Amino acid sequence: MWGTEWPRYEVIKQDTPKSPPQMVGSVHATDPEHALLLARHVFVRRPSAYALFVAPAEAFFHVTQEGLKGPWSEGLEEGPEEAYWVFAKRSHRRSMVYGDLVGRFLAKGPASAIREALLHAQGVAFWAVPERLVVGTEPKEEVIESWFAPAKDKTYRLQSYYGLVTAKEVEDAP
Amino acid sequence: MPLDPYLKEALVAKLTALADDEVVLAQRLSEWVGHAPILEEDIAIANLAQDELGHAKLYLELRQELDGADPDRLVFLRDPLEYQNAILVELPKGDWAFTLVRQYLFDAYENLWLKEAQGSAYEPLAEAASRILKEERFHLRHSALWVERLGLGTEESHRRAQEALELLFPYAKQLFIPLPEEEALAEAGVVPDLRALEAPYLEEVTRHLERSGLKPPQGGYVPKSRKEHTEYLWSLLAEMQSVARWDPEAKAW
Repeated sequence: MWGTEWPRYEVIKQDTPKSPPQMVGSVHATDPEHALLLARHVFVRRPSAYALFVAPAEAFFHVTQEGLKGPWSEGLEEGPEEAYWVFAKRSHRRSMVYGDLVGRFLAKGPASAIREALLHAQGVAFWAVPERLVVGTEPKEEVIESWFAPAKDKTYRLQSYYGLVTAKEVEDAP
Repeated sequence: MPLDPYLKEALVAKLTALADDEVVLAQRLSEWVGHAPILEEDIAIANLAQDELGHAKLYLELRQELDGADPDRLVFLRDPLEYQNAILVELPKGDWAFTLVRQYLFDAYENLWLKEAQGSAYEPLAEAASRILKEERFHLRHSALWVERLGLGTEESHRRAQEALELLFPYAKQLFIPLPEEEALAEAGVVPDLRALEAPYLEEVTRHLERSGLKPPQGGYVPKSRKEHTEYLWSLLAEMQSVARWDPEAKAW
């Protein structure tokens, strides 16, 4: 059935207190709090994280490198001035993440925020989302401990690590 | 702390019961893999199942230190009559509401128990409890969130959650019935006094359930002993143990 799907949220993961929040993918969820929990399940089972943020996918303004050459930014935006988070895709190299946070910019619209960001950052594509729609995990010790610390104790193994079922002895395992 | 032989035997039994709850619940959760209502929750429930299994492993490794029993053999080659899990965790997975209401009732109990167990006089148990508690706090966030959304969601989700609660609530109280020799362990400060945890538990879950528009039922049958089981445990273990029993000598997987 069409139209029964939960809304999609973009997931932004910050690996350490000093690293930039990065767009890593998305989850379908009923609301932002649910989206944060699912983001933890889907994106932080193994690799480490310090914080997670989500925002409704539809709230993101997006422009590609080709778009940057076009007349996209000429129209004047006249919304209320507010903070935007602007993300940049740095290159066409294959990567597990697609946008790094380049900064927060006060602007009257997302295109203006990206225009502002372009003065500071390079990129082949940009995203902008109003900060008021971004919901993040609380930066409390308790949250970091229960949401993110357990992943650090777990070993990440490629499937080729595991032997086949045929062997009778561990030494015989391929 | 060196344990005297009587306490040692009681602790072996307690660790086994703790592990059995986790193993059986993990198996029930894993039945959702590939069938959950949405891909993200499918991944989430697989994570929960894997975490519960990891906790069972910690408990059984503590037991192994005490009596040398092999965790794999205990899980995969032990007969259903020797399983010491509570009935709550063996009941069939039911619908999504049943699974999440059960998970909430169990997670809330585990969180309370583990918080206390962190202060165990038996250092290895105190360490394991504080490690497990980290993950369980997150589990509780997830299941508590679902109870709220099911209870306050649609008429259908509310009805399903309430029906699940009617059936499950008395079984949750079994979690606070100590094993026959558990009192001595509690007196020695090795494990928390289960009976003292029941009132705070009922208060906490009742508050959350009511806030979620659900009404915990009064009365109902509470199993008296962990030797009691339903027919569902047999089919669950038959499936879970089938591969290990088919080739019990296999050393590599």
